[in-house]
Amino acid sequence: MQKISKGFAPVAIFLGVLPAATVVVAASQVRYLHVSVSNPTTHELVRVNVPLMMAEKIIPAINQGELREGKVRVSASVKDLNVRAILDAVKSAPEGEFVTVENTSDHVRVAKEHGQMVVHVLDKGGKENVDVTIPWNVVEALISDTSDNQLNVEAGIKALESIGDTTLVRVSGDENVRIWVDSQNGGQ
Amino acid sequence: MIFLAKLGIGMLGATLVSGAAVSSEGFIHVKVEEKQAEGTHINLIVPAALVPVTLRFVPPKYLVEASENLRPYMPIIDTAVPAVEGSPDGVLVEVADGSDQVRITKRGASIVVDVNDTDATVHVSVPLRAAQSSIHEIAAANGSD
Repeated sequence: MQKISKGFAPVAIFLGVLPAATVVVAASQVRYLHVSVSNPTTHELVRVNVPLMMAEKIIPAINQGELREGKVRVSASVKDLNVRAILDAVKSAPEGEFVTVENTSDHVRVAKEHGQMVVHVLDKGGKENVDVTIPWNVVEALISDTSDNQLNVEAGIKALESIGDTTLVRVSGDENVRIWVDSQNGGQ
Repeated sequence: MIFLAKLGIGMLGATLVSGAAVSSEGFIHVKVEEKQAEGTHINLIVPAALVPVTLRFVPPKYLVEASENLRPYMPIIDTAVPAVEGSPDGVLVEVADGSDQVRITKRGASIVVDVNDTDATVHVSVPLRAAQSSIHEIAAANGSD
């Protein structure tokens, strides 16, 4: 019996250490926010790879322009849309229901699908399409602890840490833009 | 004889200590290679700790404009430097424009900038702490003398 106990001890230790090591490795996996902007005509390419943990520390320190204390005022950049109101409308809407915003130049559709907020912006001139897919917990973080026309960037970045590999924004037109989150520091 | 030995040990110790102090913040590495025939080739390695010290000897009137421009951004710089230092190594920014490429990489405790264009390749490696100390020196210049 004692022999069995002695043989079992290393196995037990191994079995105990393995999950602990797995948790440590998983916890230390760095998440990146990638931005890629390319212009096929001019062959210009810009790639930015930001570790989320780095952005999380820097964003609250920026108090310039529309970004203050980790929150950005969106009224200056989106003149005809009340972003906060749209997000609140989507929050209370059932899954899949669209909020549609029509103005002279764009057709904007906002929906809640599979736990994500989906925004399609179609330029009526046919020059540009924008697809935004944001997990709902990130949306809730963005509008948490904010007043009208404010988005909580700091909370949004913290929430991005917990989502899987996802393309958040894709813009196609004269310039192609992609913003996504994954664990690769190369950003390919 | 014993006195000379003590003096030698003292000088050796002082040299080692000052060498360690000078190299404590790492080294700035600048390498420029012009691509045309007989172009300039520069390979410069400077102890980073010397830069903030050297800046103290620059007359403040030459730094006053840069100082005014930098001051509002000091809280961001003071937050960003440790944040970048603590983040994993990797390419932070990459810009390609036809035949020109710029790449900004975080490598160890340094920020590395590589530029490759039609005329030259440039490699600059700056230890983050030294950059922060230098920026502080510039921001502190008030141009009063």
